Amino acid sequence: MQWLGVLARLVVGTVWVAAGALKIPDPTESVRAVRNYRILPEAVVPLVGHSLPVLEVLIGVCLLVGLLVRANAVVSCVLLLAFIAGIASAWARGLSIECGCFGGGAGTLEDYASKYPWEIARDVGLLLASGWLVLRPRSPWALDNRLFPVDD
Amino acid sequence: MSKKKSNATRRAEQLATHERAAEIRKAHERKERRRRNGFIAAGVVVVLALVLGIGYAVQSSRDTTGQVATPPAGVVDDYAVPRGDPEAPVTVTIYEDFMCPFCGQFEAASRDLLSSYVDAGDVRVEYRVLSFLDRASNGTDYSTRSMNALAVVLDTAGPEVAWEFHDLLFENQPEEGTDGLSDDELVDLAVEAGATRDRVAGPIEQRKFEQWVRNATDAANRAGVSSTPTVMVDGEPLEATTIDALVKELDEAVQAALGG
Repeated sequence: MQWLGVLARLVVGTVWVAAGALKIPDPTESVRAVRNYRILPEAVVPLVGHSLPVLEVLIGVCLLVGLLVRANAVVSCVLLLAFIAGIASAWARGLSIECGCFGGGAGTLEDYASKYPWEIARDVGLLLASGWLVLRPRSPWALDNRLFPVDD
Repeated sequence: MSKKKSNATRRAEQLATHERAAEIRKAHERKERRRRNGFIAAGVVVVLALVLGIGYAVQSSRDTTGQVATPPAGVVDDYAVPRGDPEAPVTVTIYEDFMCPFCGQFEAASRDLLSSYVDAGDVRVEYRVLSFLDRASNGTDYSTRSMNALAVVLDTAGPEVAWEFHDLLFENQPEEGTDGLSDDELVDLAVEAGATRDRVAGPIEQRKFEQWVRNATDAANRAGVSSTPTVMVDGEPLEATTIDALVKELDEAVQAALGG
């Protein structure tokens, strides 16, 4: 059962690192990707666009090395819930935008809306894995075991 | 007379005291450990927050969007390349990226139609070029380079040559995901359109209008343009999602605007 935790950390952590790392090279583009959703007020759009990719890489690395797993899993859940809400909202409003999940802020005339269900399904899967880590944060091969040993 | 406790009772009492002491010690250790864990966790959180803050600052400083840029001579409304009679009754705005294949198809399919409207003085076209497909050219930033080249041609050779160059860029459009045309090829096309080699070569290679290109792309994004081509007739975006339907919708919208 404890290996399930390792698997969840590997999957969720890798996705976060990839998602963040692909967006970091072009900060302008990630700001545009956030703006495309037309949800957040313009005042915070650049803040989110500039910090989100860094936060994603941080969470991913922490989950991979098993550092503060529960706290990072909580943040992971919060972000995923926000993304699901964002995509669902774009879908409901009939916007056809590239999600910008793994870089890219806009595309050519294409039916991006058809991808929304898959994007949501993927995020729900990651949410479940993150939720598991909130409930059972302890797993082998984690820095937490060294930093915060449990010996009883 | 004091009663002597039996040996057994005494032993039992000793054991209980021991156990209690051990329990107290354990509780104390647990408390200590929790305190220590709290410190370590807090330390880690501080370090992570610091990394996040630094990362944000770096990303923020790398994003030069909005910095002051000199627009090329001849643009209207900061970012639009106009074509046709400025007094024409209908304005068609086209947001496009030189790397976007659908834009190329739309250009090919709508050129004759738009040209006839422009020539008749009924329509004024505003090209609003974007560079958001930079990542689709193997890191050569073709969208930015080609858009910069258009600005250079407009700036040095005027609107007629710029339109010609614009059309040539779409007729010679590279496939999405390739390096795109080289700077030399861009210069050659500019010369073919009617620009002077000596005047355009330097600014094309040095990306003279790069910041203007970035600001233009940002302005389009703020205007709600999230995909290309986005075509508007008198500010109203068309909604068709196939090229044929888009050209048809464009024709009908222009007709309606002229009739009204």
